Amino acid sequence: MKVNLFILVLVIFFFAAVGFPGCPAPDAVCARLPEMGNGQVIGDGQWGRGDRLWAMGDGKSQDPVHAESPSAGEDVPARKDMKPSGRSQDAFQDEYKDEGQDYDDEPFADERVTIADPIEPFNRLMHRFNDRLYFWLLKPVAEGYKEAVPEPARISVKNFYYHLLFPIRFVNCVLQADLTGAGSEAGRFAINTVWGVGGLLDPSSNQGIELPKQNADFGQTLGLYGVGHGFYIVWPFLGPSSPRDSVDIAGEYVLDPLSYFTPWYTSLGKRPLKMINNASLSLGDYEAVIEAAIDPYIAIRNGYIQYRMKEVQARRDRSLFFRNRKNAAPEAADPPPAN
Amino acid sequence: MFGPPQTMSKKTGGANTAIGYRYAEDTLKGDTDRHVVRQRQIYSQAAYGASGRWEIYGRVGVSDLQIADAFRSSSALTAVSRDSFEENWKFFGTLGAKAYYPVNSVFGVGAFVQGSCNFSNFTDEVGGTSGGAPFAADMKVKYLWDVNFGIGVQASVPYGIQLYAGPFVYYTEADAYLSGSVPGIQSGAEKTSLKNASAVGGFFGVAVGLGRGFGLQIEGQYTDRFSAGSAVTYTY
Repeated sequence: MKVNLFILVLVIFFFAAVGFPGCPAPDAVCARLPEMGNGQVIGDGQWGRGDRLWAMGDGKSQDPVHAESPSAGEDVPARKDMKPSGRSQDAFQDEYKDEGQDYDDEPFADERVTIADPIEPFNRLMHRFNDRLYFWLLKPVAEGYKEAVPEPARISVKNFYYHLLFPIRFVNCVLQADLTGAGSEAGRFAINTVWGVGGLLDPSSNQGIELPKQNADFGQTLGLYGVGHGFYIVWPFLGPSSPRDSVDIAGEYVLDPLSYFTPWYTSLGKRPLKMINNASLSLGDYEAVIEAAIDPYIAIRNGYIQYRMKEVQARRDRSLFFRNRKNAAPEAADPPPAN
Repeated sequence: MFGPPQTMSKKTGGANTAIGYRYAEDTLKGDTDRHVVRQRQIYSQAAYGASGRWEIYGRVGVSDLQIADAFRSSSALTAVSRDSFEENWKFFGTLGAKAYYPVNSVFGVGAFVQGSCNFSNFTDEVGGTSGGAPFAADMKVKYLWDVNFGIGVQASVPYGIQLYAGPFVYYTEADAYLSGSVPGIQSGAEKTSLKNASAVGGFFGVAVGLGRGFGLQIEGQYTDRFSAGSAVTYTY
Protein backbone atom coordinates (compact mmCIF):
# COMPACT_ATOMS: atom_id res chain seq x y z
CA MET A 1 0.00 0.00 0.00
CA LYS A 2 2.76 2.38 0.91
CA VAL A 3 4.66 1.46 -2.22
CA ASN A 4 1.59 2.17 -4.34
CA LEU A 5 1.13 5.51 -2.63
CA PHE A 6 4.77 6.33 -3.22
CA ILE A 7 4.44 5.48 -6.91
CA LEU A 8 1.29 7.58 -7.16
CA VAL A 9 3.08 10.56 -5.65
CA LEU A 10 5.94 10.07 -8.05
CA VAL A 11 3.62 9.95 -11.02
CA ILE A 12 1.81 13.08 -9.89
CA PHE A 13 5.08 14.85 -9.38
CA PHE A 14 6.29 13.71 -12.74
CA PHE A 15 3.31 15.13 -14.57
CA ALA A 16 3.40 18.27 -12.49
CA ALA A 17 6.99 18.75 -13.50
CA VAL A 18 6.81 17.98 -17.19
CA GLY A 19 3.24 18.95 -17.86
CA PHE A 20 0.16 16.84 -18.16
CA PRO A 21 -0.71 15.11 -21.42
CA GLY A 22 -2.16 17.56 -23.84
CA CYS A 23 -0.23 20.45 -22.44
CA PRO A 24 2.32 22.17 -24.66
CA ALA A 25 5.64 20.39 -24.96
CA PRO A 26 8.52 21.84 -23.07
CA ASP A 27 10.18 24.68 -24.86
CA ALA A 28 13.53 24.34 -26.52
CA VAL A 29 15.50 25.66 -23.66
CA CYS A 30 13.48 24.27 -20.88
CA ALA A 31 15.36 21.97 -18.69
CA ARG A 32 18.09 23.10 -16.45
CA LEU A 33 19.09 19.97 -14.67
CA PRO A 34 19.95 16.60 -16.00
CA GLU A 35 21.47 15.48 -12.78
CA MET A 36 18.96 16.98 -10.40
CA GLY A 37 21.58 18.18 -8.10
CA ASN A 38 23.36 14.96 -7.63
CA GLY A 39 26.40 16.95 -8.48
CA GLN A 40 29.04 17.29 -5.91
CA VAL A 41 31.59 19.91 -5.20
CA ILE A 42 32.99 21.01 -8.47
CA GLY A 43 36.54 20.07 -9.03
CA ASP A 44 36.88 17.54 -6.30
CA GLY A 45 37.10 14.81 -8.84
CA GLN A 46 35.05 12.28 -6.96
CA TRP A 47 31.84 12.05 -8.84
CA GLY A 48 30.09 8.82 -9.17
CA ARG A 49 27.78 7.88 -11.98
CA GLY A 50 25.30 10.59 -12.57
CA ASP A 51 27.52 13.22 -11.07
CA ARG A 52 29.30 13.98 -14.27
CA LEU A 53 27.30 16.99 -15.19
CA TRP A 54 29.30 19.08 -12.82
CA ALA A 55 32.45 18.38 -14.70
CA MET A 56 31.41 21.33 -16.81
CA GLY A 57 31.86 23.48 -13.84
CA ASP A 58 35.54 23.76 -14.56
CA GLY A 59 34.63 26.14 -17.30
CA LYS A 60 36.69 24.36 -19.90
CA SER A 61 34.10 22.52 -21.80
CA GLN A 62 31.07 24.61 -21.08
CA ASP A 63 31.07 27.43 -23.50
CA PRO A 64 27.58 28.50 -24.37
CA VAL A 65 28.73 30.81 -27.11
CA HIS A 66 31.03 28.45 -28.94
CA ALA A 67 29.33 25.25 -28.04
CA GLU A 68 28.70 23.04 -30.99
CA SER A 69 25.02 23.34 -30.58
CA PRO A 70 22.99 21.33 -33.04
CA SER A 71 20.16 23.75 -32.54
CA ALA A 72 22.15 26.75 -33.56
CA GLY A 73 20.02 28.97 -35.60
CA GLU A 74 16.84 28.00 -33.89
CA ASP A 75 14.83 30.69 -32.28
CA VAL A 76 15.08 30.38 -28.60
CA PRO A 77 11.88 31.13 -26.77
CA ALA A 78 11.91 33.69 -24.06
CA ARG A 79 12.86 32.50 -20.67
CA LYS A 80 12.38 34.31 -17.42
CA ASP A 81 15.58 33.29 -15.76
CA MET A 82 17.77 33.43 -18.80
CA LYS A 83 20.38 36.09 -19.33
CA PRO A 84 19.98 37.91 -21.58
CA SER A 85 16.28 37.34 -21.49
CA GLY A 86 13.89 37.55 -24.32
CA ARG A 87 16.44 37.42 -27.10
CA SER A 88 16.58 34.90 -29.83
CA GLN A 89 19.71 32.96 -30.51
CA ASP A 90 19.92 34.66 -33.91
CA ALA A 91 20.03 38.00 -32.23
CA PHE A 92 22.59 36.69 -29.86
CA GLN A 93 24.73 35.40 -32.70
CA ASP A 94 24.32 38.64 -34.58
CA GLU A 95 25.68 40.48 -31.65
CA TYR A 96 28.76 38.31 -31.45
CA LYS A 97 29.26 37.49 -35.12
CA ASP A 98 32.22 39.85 -35.52
CA GLU A 99 33.88 38.58 -32.40
CA GLY A 100 33.42 35.03 -33.51
CA GLN A 101 35.41 35.69 -36.66
CA ASP A 102 38.41 36.60 -34.62
CA TYR A 103 38.78 33.15 -33.22
CA ASP A 104 40.29 30.17 -34.86
CA ASP A 105 38.47 27.06 -33.77
CA GLU A 106 40.94 24.67 -35.36
CA PRO A 107 43.14 24.23 -32.30
CA PHE A 108 40.08 23.06 -30.46
CA ALA A 109 38.81 20.80 -33.17
CA ASP A 110 39.74 17.73 -31.19
CA GLU A 111 37.73 19.06 -28.31
CA ARG A 112 34.55 18.78 -30.29
CA VAL A 113 32.76 15.67 -29.40
CA THR A 114 29.26 14.90 -30.36
CA ILE A 115 26.78 12.22 -29.63
CA ALA A 116 23.68 11.01 -31.36
CA ASP A 117 20.48 12.16 -29.77
CA PRO A 118 17.70 10.27 -31.51
CA ILE A 119 15.39 10.47 -28.53
CA GLU A 120 15.82 14.16 -27.89
CA PRO A 121 12.15 14.81 -27.15
CA PHE A 122 12.22 12.22 -24.42
CA ASN A 123 15.56 13.49 -23.17
CA ARG A 124 14.31 17.05 -22.99
CA LEU A 125 11.30 15.84 -21.11
CA MET A 126 13.49 14.05 -18.59
CA HIS A 127 15.77 17.04 -18.51
CA ARG A 128 12.86 19.22 -17.59
CA PHE A 129 11.66 16.71 -15.04
CA ASN A 130 15.05 16.57 -13.37
CA ASP A 131 15.28 20.33 -13.48
CA ARG A 132 11.98 20.76 -11.76
CA LEU A 133 12.82 18.05 -9.32
CA TYR A 134 15.93 19.97 -8.41
CA PHE A 135 14.34 23.36 -8.03
CA TRP A 136 11.11 22.23 -6.47
CA LEU A 137 12.28 19.50 -4.19
CA LEU A 138 15.95 18.80 -3.96
CA LYS A 139 17.23 22.35 -3.64
CA PRO A 140 14.82 23.42 -0.88
CA VAL A 141 15.52 20.24 1.04
CA ALA A 142 19.25 20.64 0.51
CA GLU A 143 19.11 24.22 1.73
CA GLY A 144 17.36 23.16 4.89
CA TYR A 145 19.78 20.29 5.32
CA LYS A 146 22.66 22.71 4.86
CA GLU A 147 21.33 24.91 7.62
CA ALA A 148 20.87 22.00 9.97
CA VAL A 149 24.05 20.05 9.37
CA PRO A 150 27.50 21.64 9.68
CA GLU A 151 29.75 21.46 6.66
CA PRO A 152 32.34 19.11 8.20
CA ALA A 153 29.58 16.61 8.90
CA ARG A 154 28.27 16.90 5.36
CA ILE A 155 31.74 16.39 3.97
CA SER A 156 32.07 13.33 6.18
CA VAL A 157 28.82 11.95 4.80
CA LYS A 158 30.11 12.54 1.31
CA ASN A 159 33.37 10.82 2.19
CA PHE A 160 31.45 7.90 3.59
CA TYR A 161 29.42 7.38 0.45
CA TYR A 162 32.51 7.66 -1.67
CA HIS A 163 34.24 5.17 0.58
CA LEU A 164 31.44 2.65 0.24
CA LEU A 165 31.81 2.53 -3.52
CA PHE A 166 35.39 1.35 -3.28
CA PRO A 167 34.58 -2.03 -4.91
CA ILE A 168 33.40 -0.30 -8.08
CA ARG A 169 36.54 1.77 -8.39
CA PHE A 170 38.85 -1.08 -7.50
CA VAL A 171 37.28 -3.59 -9.89
CA ASN A 172 37.29 -1.10 -12.72
CA CYS A 173 40.90 -0.13 -12.09
CA VAL A 174 41.76 -3.81 -12.44
CA LEU A 175 39.61 -4.19 -15.55
CA GLN A 176 41.29 -1.14 -17.00
CA ALA A 177 44.72 -2.63 -16.25
CA ASP A 178 45.47 0.30 -14.01
CA LEU A 179 47.23 -1.62 -11.30
CA THR A 180 48.70 1.51 -9.78
CA GLY A 181 45.23 2.92 -9.46
CA ALA A 182 43.94 -0.34 -8.00
CA GLY A 183 46.72 -0.26 -5.44
CA SER A 184 45.99 3.33 -4.65
CA GLU A 185 42.32 2.56 -4.15
CA ALA A 186 43.08 -0.42 -1.94
CA GLY A 187 45.43 1.70 0.13
CA ARG A 188 42.89 4.48 0.39
CA PHE A 189 40.25 2.03 1.47
CA ALA A 190 42.44 0.48 4.15
CA ILE A 191 43.71 3.76 5.54
CA ASN A 192 40.38 5.52 5.46
CA THR A 193 38.62 2.56 7.03
CA VAL A 194 41.07 2.28 9.87
CA TRP A 195 42.14 5.84 10.52
CA GLY A 196 39.30 7.56 8.74
CA VAL A 197 36.67 6.21 11.15
CA GLY A 198 35.11 3.90 8.62
CA GLY A 199 35.47 6.32 5.74
CA LEU A 200 33.97 9.38 7.38
CA LEU A 201 37.35 11.08 7.19
CA ASP A 202 39.83 11.03 4.37
CA PRO A 203 43.37 10.85 5.70
CA SER A 204 44.53 9.29 2.44
CA SER A 205 44.22 12.64 0.72
CA ASN A 206 46.20 14.47 3.34
CA GLN A 207 49.68 15.71 2.84
CA GLY A 208 52.18 12.98 3.42
CA ILE A 209 49.99 10.16 2.17
CA GLU A 210 48.35 11.68 -0.87
CA LEU A 211 46.89 8.60 -2.44
CA PRO A 212 44.95 9.90 -5.43
CA LYS A 213 41.31 9.07 -5.87
CA GLN A 214 40.48 6.82 -8.79
CA ASN A 215 37.13 7.62 -10.27
CA ALA A 216 36.97 4.48 -12.34
CA ASP A 217 33.62 3.17 -13.43
CA PHE A 218 32.18 0.64 -15.83
CA GLY A 219 31.37 3.21 -18.48
CA GLN A 220 35.00 4.19 -18.68
CA THR A 221 36.05 0.56 -18.78
CA LEU A 222 33.76 -0.14 -21.70
CA GLY A 223 35.05 3.00 -23.39
CA LEU A 224 38.60 1.78 -22.99
CA TYR A 225 37.69 -1.46 -24.66
CA GLY A 226 36.27 0.42 -27.62
CA VAL A 227 32.60 0.54 -26.79
CA GLY A 228 31.04 3.76 -27.97
CA HIS A 229 28.47 5.81 -26.17
CA GLY A 230 25.66 4.86 -28.48
CA PHE A 231 23.31 7.76 -28.00
CA TYR A 232 22.52 10.35 -25.42
CA ILE A 233 19.92 9.58 -22.83
CA VAL A 234 18.72 11.50 -19.82
CA TRP A 235 17.48 9.27 -17.07
CA PRO A 236 14.91 10.56 -14.64
CA PHE A 237 16.52 11.10 -11.25
CA LEU A 238 19.92 10.01 -12.56
CA GLY A 239 20.62 12.60 -15.22
CA PRO A 240 22.66 12.49 -18.41
CA SER A 241 24.04 9.21 -19.58
CA SER A 242 24.32 6.89 -22.52
CA PRO A 243 23.63 3.20 -22.96
CA ARG A 244 27.29 2.54 -22.36
CA ASP A 245 27.50 4.62 -19.24
CA SER A 246 24.18 3.25 -18.03
CA VAL A 247 25.97 -0.02 -17.39
CA ASP A 248 27.13 1.75 -14.27
CA ILE A 249 23.64 1.53 -12.88
CA ALA A 250 23.78 -2.25 -12.83
CA GLY A 251 27.41 -2.25 -11.84
CA GLU A 252 26.83 0.06 -8.94
CA TYR A 253 23.95 -2.04 -7.74
CA VAL A 254 26.02 -5.21 -7.80
CA LEU A 255 29.12 -3.77 -6.17
CA ASP A 256 27.56 -1.31 -3.76
CA PRO A 257 27.63 -2.91 -0.31
CA LEU A 258 24.45 -1.09 0.66
CA SER A 259 22.58 -3.05 -1.99
CA TYR A 260 22.95 -6.13 0.15
CA PHE A 261 21.56 -4.67 3.32
CA THR A 262 18.53 -6.39 4.68
CA PRO A 263 15.73 -5.63 4.87
CA TRP A 264 15.86 -4.29 1.34
CA TYR A 265 14.21 -0.96 2.09
CA THR A 266 17.08 0.10 4.33
CA SER A 267 19.05 0.89 1.21
CA LEU A 268 16.26 3.04 -0.22
CA GLY A 269 17.29 6.01 1.85
CA LYS A 270 20.83 5.83 0.61
CA ARG A 271 20.48 7.65 -2.68
CA PRO A 272 18.17 10.44 -1.50
CA LEU A 273 20.47 11.23 1.39
CA LYS A 274 23.46 11.14 -0.90
CA MET A 275 21.75 13.46 -3.36
CA ILE A 276 20.66 15.89 -0.69
CA ASN A 277 24.03 15.87 0.98
CA ASN A 278 25.92 16.38 -2.25
CA ALA A 279 23.53 19.05 -3.41
CA SER A 280 24.00 20.91 -0.14
CA LEU A 281 27.72 21.05 -0.86
CA SER A 282 27.30 22.46 -4.33
CA LEU A 283 24.32 24.76 -4.12
CA GLY A 284 24.54 27.42 -6.77
CA ASP A 285 26.86 25.54 -9.06
CA TYR A 286 24.12 24.15 -11.22
CA GLU A 287 22.37 27.47 -11.32
CA ALA A 288 25.57 29.09 -12.53
CA VAL A 289 25.89 26.54 -15.30
CA ILE A 290 22.40 26.89 -16.62
CA GLU A 291 22.33 30.67 -16.39
CA ALA A 292 25.39 30.84 -18.57
CA ALA A 293 23.91 28.57 -21.21
CA ILE A 294 21.78 29.51 -24.20
CA ASP A 295 20.24 26.10 -24.19
CA PRO A 296 21.04 24.27 -20.98
CA TYR A 297 20.03 20.97 -22.47
CA ILE A 298 22.54 21.26 -25.29
CA ALA A 299 25.20 22.71 -23.06
CA ILE A 300 24.86 19.93 -20.55
CA ARG A 301 24.78 17.30 -23.22
CA ASN A 302 27.96 18.60 -24.80
CA GLY A 303 29.61 19.10 -21.47
CA TYR A 304 28.69 15.63 -20.35
CA ILE A 305 30.02 13.93 -23.43
CA GLN A 306 33.24 15.91 -23.39
CA TYR A 307 33.74 15.20 -19.76
CA ARG A 308 33.27 11.50 -20.27
CA MET A 309 35.61 11.52 -23.22
CA LYS A 310 38.29 13.15 -21.15
CA GLU A 311 37.71 10.70 -18.35
CA VAL A 312 38.17 7.77 -20.70
CA GLN A 313 41.27 9.39 -22.14
CA ALA A 314 42.66 9.93 -18.66
CA ARG A 315 42.02 6.32 -17.78
CA ARG A 316 43.62 5.23 -21.03
CA ASP A 317 46.78 7.09 -20.12
CA ARG A 318 46.97 5.15 -16.88
CA SER A 319 46.29 1.74 -18.35
CA LEU A 320 49.08 -0.74 -18.86
CA PHE A 321 47.33 -2.19 -21.88
CA PHE A 322 45.88 0.83 -23.57
CA ARG A 323 48.27 3.68 -22.91
CA ASN A 324 50.46 2.96 -25.94
CA ARG A 325 47.67 2.09 -28.28
CA LYS A 326 46.19 4.48 -30.73
CA ASN A 327 43.20 6.27 -29.41
CA ALA A 328 40.27 4.40 -30.76
CA ALA A 329 38.21 7.39 -29.68
CA PRO A 330 34.89 5.65 -29.69
CA GLU A 331 33.27 8.84 -28.56
CA ALA A 332 34.67 10.79 -31.48
CA ALA A 333 33.47 8.10 -33.82
CA ASP A 334 29.94 8.51 -32.66
CA PRO A 335 27.58 9.91 -35.24
CA PRO A 336 26.69 13.57 -35.00
CA PRO A 337 23.53 14.64 -33.29
CA ALA A 338 20.42 13.80 -35.12
CA ASN A 339 18.88 17.18 -34.56
CA MET B 1 44.76 2.70 26.80
CA PHE B 2 44.85 6.26 28.00
CA GLY B 3 47.49 7.63 25.67
CA PRO B 4 49.89 10.46 26.39
CA PRO B 5 48.49 13.32 28.42
CA GLN B 6 49.09 15.79 25.62
CA THR B 7 46.88 15.70 22.60
CA MET B 8 48.38 14.68 19.30
CA SER B 9 46.21 17.12 17.40
CA LYS B 10 47.69 20.19 15.80
CA LYS B 11 47.89 23.27 17.94
CA THR B 12 45.56 25.05 15.59
CA GLY B 13 43.02 22.40 16.33
CA GLY B 14 42.26 19.23 14.49
CA ALA B 15 41.32 15.61 14.61
CA ASN B 16 43.34 12.55 15.22
CA THR B 17 42.31 8.97 14.90
CA ALA B 18 43.68 5.67 16.02
CA ILE B 19 43.17 1.98 15.83
CA GLY B 20 44.19 0.08 18.88
CA TYR B 21 44.41 -3.26 20.57
CA ARG B 22 44.37 -3.79 24.28
CA TYR B 23 44.74 -6.84 26.43
CA ALA B 24 43.36 -6.15 29.85
CA GLU B 25 43.27 -8.16 33.01
CA ASP B 26 41.81 -7.23 36.34
CA THR B 27 40.30 -8.84 39.37
CA LEU B 28 36.62 -8.36 40.05
CA LYS B 29 35.03 -9.39 43.25
CA GLY B 30 31.53 -10.76 43.60
CA ASP B 31 29.55 -11.28 46.74
CA THR B 32 31.92 -13.91 47.98
CA ASP B 33 34.25 -14.74 45.13
CA ARG B 34 37.04 -13.02 43.27
CA HIS B 35 37.45 -13.57 39.57
CA VAL B 36 40.22 -12.74 37.17
CA VAL B 37 38.66 -10.99 34.22
CA ARG B 38 40.35 -10.82 30.84
CA GLN B 39 39.34 -8.73 27.90
CA ARG B 40 40.79 -8.25 24.47
CA GLN B 41 39.70 -5.07 22.82
CA ILE B 42 40.04 -3.83 19.27
CA TYR B 43 38.89 -0.31 18.79
CA SER B 44 38.83 2.68 16.52
CA GLN B 45 39.25 6.08 18.08
CA ALA B 46 38.45 9.56 16.88
CA ALA B 47 39.58 12.59 18.80
CA TYR B 48 39.62 16.32 18.54
CA GLY B 49 42.10 18.50 20.30
CA ALA B 50 43.57 21.94 20.09
CA SER B 51 46.37 24.16 21.32
CA GLY B 52 48.25 21.18 22.64
CA ARG B 53 46.25 21.53 25.83
CA TRP B 54 43.07 19.53 25.56
CA GLU B 55 41.40 16.73 23.75
CA ILE B 56 38.13 14.87 23.69
CA TYR B 57 37.91 11.45 22.22
CA GLY B 58 35.59 8.57 21.57
CA ARG B 59 36.14 4.95 20.76
CA VAL B 60 34.06 2.23 19.27
CA GLY B 61 35.29 -1.30 19.28
CA VAL B 62 34.69 -4.91 20.04
CA SER B 63 35.73 -6.83 23.06
CA ASP B 64 35.53 -10.34 24.31
CA LEU B 65 35.21 -11.34 27.93
CA GLN B 66 36.57 -14.15 30.04
CA ILE B 67 35.78 -14.53 33.69
CA ALA B 68 37.87 -17.16 35.34
CA ASP B 69 36.11 -19.55 37.67
CA ALA B 70 32.75 -17.95 37.11
CA PHE B 71 31.13 -21.37 37.02
CA ARG B 72 33.33 -23.05 39.58
CA SER B 73 31.24 -24.82 42.12
CA SER B 74 31.93 -24.49 45.77
CA SER B 75 29.58 -27.35 46.50
CA ALA B 76 30.67 -30.96 46.32
CA LEU B 77 27.20 -31.85 45.10
CA THR B 78 27.50 -29.73 41.98
CA ALA B 79 29.76 -30.64 39.09
CA VAL B 80 30.08 -28.33 36.10
CA SER B 81 31.34 -28.94 32.59
CA ARG B 82 33.78 -26.04 32.77
CA ASP B 83 34.78 -23.32 35.13
CA SER B 84 35.27 -20.17 33.12
CA PHE B 85 32.85 -17.83 31.48
CA GLU B 86 33.77 -16.94 27.90
CA GLU B 87 32.04 -14.85 25.30
CA ASN B 88 33.23 -13.48 22.00
CA TRP B 89 33.19 -10.06 20.50
CA LYS B 90 30.65 -7.51 21.59
CA PHE B 91 30.58 -3.80 20.89
CA PHE B 92 31.72 -1.28 23.40
CA GLY B 93 32.17 2.47 23.42
CA THR B 94 34.47 4.82 25.25
CA LEU B 95 34.41 8.53 25.84
CA GLY B 96 37.20 10.52 27.34
CA ALA B 97 38.78 13.89 27.77
CA LYS B 98 42.24 15.01 28.69
CA ALA B 99 43.94 18.26 29.56
CA TYR B 100 47.62 19.07 29.52
CA TYR B 101 49.79 21.77 30.95
CA PRO B 102 53.36 22.10 29.67
CA VAL B 103 55.76 22.93 32.47
CA ASN B 104 58.62 23.53 30.08
CA SER B 105 59.66 22.41 26.64
CA VAL B 106 60.32 18.89 27.88
CA PHE B 107 58.00 18.15 30.76
CA GLY B 108 54.34 18.61 31.27
CA VAL B 109 51.53 17.33 33.42
CA GLY B 110 48.05 16.35 32.47
CA ALA B 111 44.88 14.76 33.66
CA PHE B 112 42.25 12.64 32.01
CA VAL B 113 38.90 11.07 32.61
CA GLN B 114 37.67 8.13 30.59
CA GLY B 115 34.63 5.93 30.73
CA SER B 116 33.66 2.81 28.82
CA CYS B 117 30.48 0.84 28.46
CA ASN B 118 29.60 -2.38 26.72
CA PHE B 119 26.54 -2.02 24.55
CA SER B 120 25.66 -5.70 24.61
CA ASN B 121 25.39 -8.39 27.18
CA PHE B 122 27.90 -11.19 27.37
CA THR B 123 26.32 -14.62 27.56
CA ASP B 124 27.68 -18.09 28.18
CA GLU B 125 26.21 -21.45 29.07
CA VAL B 126 27.18 -24.00 31.62
CA GLY B 127 25.96 -27.49 32.23
CA GLY B 128 26.55 -30.20 34.76
CA THR B 129 24.90 -32.07 37.51
CA SER B 130 23.66 -30.89 40.82
CA GLY B 131 22.71 -33.48 43.38
CA GLY B 132 22.83 -36.07 40.63
CA ALA B 133 20.36 -34.19 38.44
CA PRO B 134 21.57 -32.64 35.22
CA PHE B 135 21.20 -28.90 34.78
CA ALA B 136 21.96 -26.27 32.20
CA ALA B 137 22.11 -22.60 32.91
CA ASP B 138 22.95 -19.37 31.12
CA MET B 139 24.98 -16.62 32.61
CA LYS B 140 24.62 -13.09 31.35
CA VAL B 141 27.06 -10.35 32.20
CA LYS B 142 25.21 -7.08 31.83
CA TYR B 143 26.11 -3.44 32.10
CA LEU B 144 29.85 -3.87 32.14
CA TRP B 145 31.24 -0.39 32.49
CA ASP B 146 34.15 1.45 33.97
CA VAL B 147 35.33 4.94 34.63
CA ASN B 148 38.91 6.08 35.08
CA PHE B 149 40.52 9.25 36.28
CA GLY B 150 44.22 9.85 36.32
CA ILE B 151 47.04 12.30 36.14
CA GLY B 152 50.19 11.86 34.18
CA VAL B 153 53.60 13.31 33.64
CA GLN B 154 54.94 13.50 30.15
CA ALA B 155 58.48 13.96 28.89
CA SER B 156 59.24 14.81 25.30
CA VAL B 157 62.59 13.36 24.35
CA PRO B 158 64.48 13.56 21.05
CA TYR B 159 63.32 11.86 17.88
CA GLY B 160 59.73 12.80 18.56
CA ILE B 161 59.34 10.32 21.38
CA GLN B 162 57.09 11.00 24.31
CA LEU B 163 57.30 9.10 27.55
CA TYR B 164 54.50 9.29 30.03
CA ALA B 165 53.44 7.73 33.29
CA GLY B 166 51.14 8.36 36.18
CA PRO B 167 48.63 6.98 38.64
CA PHE B 168 44.94 6.57 38.13
CA VAL B 169 41.87 5.55 40.04
CA TYR B 170 39.06 3.58 38.52
CA TYR B 171 35.79 1.86 39.12
CA THR B 172 34.43 -1.13 37.25
CA GLU B 173 31.08 -2.79 37.64
CA ALA B 174 29.04 -5.48 35.99
CA ASP B 175 26.03 -7.54 36.87
CA ALA B 176 26.13 -11.30 36.39
CA TYR B 177 22.83 -13.11 36.08
CA LEU B 178 22.43 -16.84 36.23
CA SER B 179 19.29 -18.18 34.57
CA GLY B 180 18.63 -20.46 37.52
CA SER B 181 19.85 -20.90 41.02
CA VAL B 182 22.49 -23.61 41.10
CA PRO B 183 23.91 -24.65 44.47
CA GLY B 184 27.63 -24.01 44.64
CA ILE B 185 27.74 -21.49 41.80
CA GLN B 186 27.82 -17.86 42.86
CA SER B 187 26.65 -19.00 46.25
CA GLY B 188 23.45 -20.11 44.67
CA ALA B 189 22.44 -16.54 43.96
CA GLU B 190 20.86 -15.60 40.65
CA LYS B 191 22.41 -12.19 40.49
CA THR B 192 25.83 -11.11 41.49
CA SER B 193 27.33 -7.68 41.22
CA LEU B 194 30.98 -7.70 40.17
CA LYS B 195 33.21 -4.79 41.12
CA ASN B 196 36.89 -4.08 40.87
CA ALA B 197 38.97 -5.48 43.68
CA SER B 198 41.44 -2.63 43.66
CA ALA B 199 40.76 1.00 42.95
CA VAL B 200 44.17 2.39 42.10
CA GLY B 201 46.58 1.67 39.33
CA GLY B 202 49.45 3.05 37.40
CA PHE B 203 50.12 3.50 33.72
CA PHE B 204 53.19 4.18 31.65
CA GLY B 205 53.75 4.38 27.97
CA VAL B 206 55.66 5.65 25.03
CA ALA B 207 54.43 7.48 21.94
CA VAL B 208 56.60 7.50 18.84
CA GLY B 209 56.09 9.42 15.64
CA LEU B 210 56.24 7.24 12.57
CA GLY B 211 56.12 10.00 9.98
CA ARG B 212 53.47 11.13 7.53
CA GLY B 213 51.15 11.84 10.39
CA PHE B 214 51.24 8.36 11.84
CA GLY B 215 52.31 7.51 15.34
CA LEU B 216 52.64 4.49 17.56
CA GLN B 217 51.64 4.26 21.18
CA ILE B 218 52.52 1.42 23.50
CA GLU B 219 51.18 1.48 27.01
CA GLY B 220 51.11 -0.71 30.06
CA GLN B 221 48.83 -0.51 33.07
CA TYR B 222 48.99 -2.21 36.40
CA THR B 223 46.12 -2.47 38.79
CA ASP B 224 45.56 -5.83 40.37
CA ARG B 225 46.78 -7.41 37.18
CA PHE B 226 48.86 -6.23 34.27
CA SER B 227 47.34 -4.90 31.10
CA ALA B 228 48.95 -3.65 27.90
CA GLY B 229 47.86 -2.07 24.70
CA SER B 230 49.07 -0.51 21.53
CA ALA B 231 47.61 1.90 19.04
CA VAL B 232 48.58 3.33 15.69
CA THR B 233 47.45 6.90 15.44
CA TYR B 234 47.01 9.36 12.62
CA THR B 235 46.98 13.10 13.07
CA TYR B 236 45.10 15.24 10.57
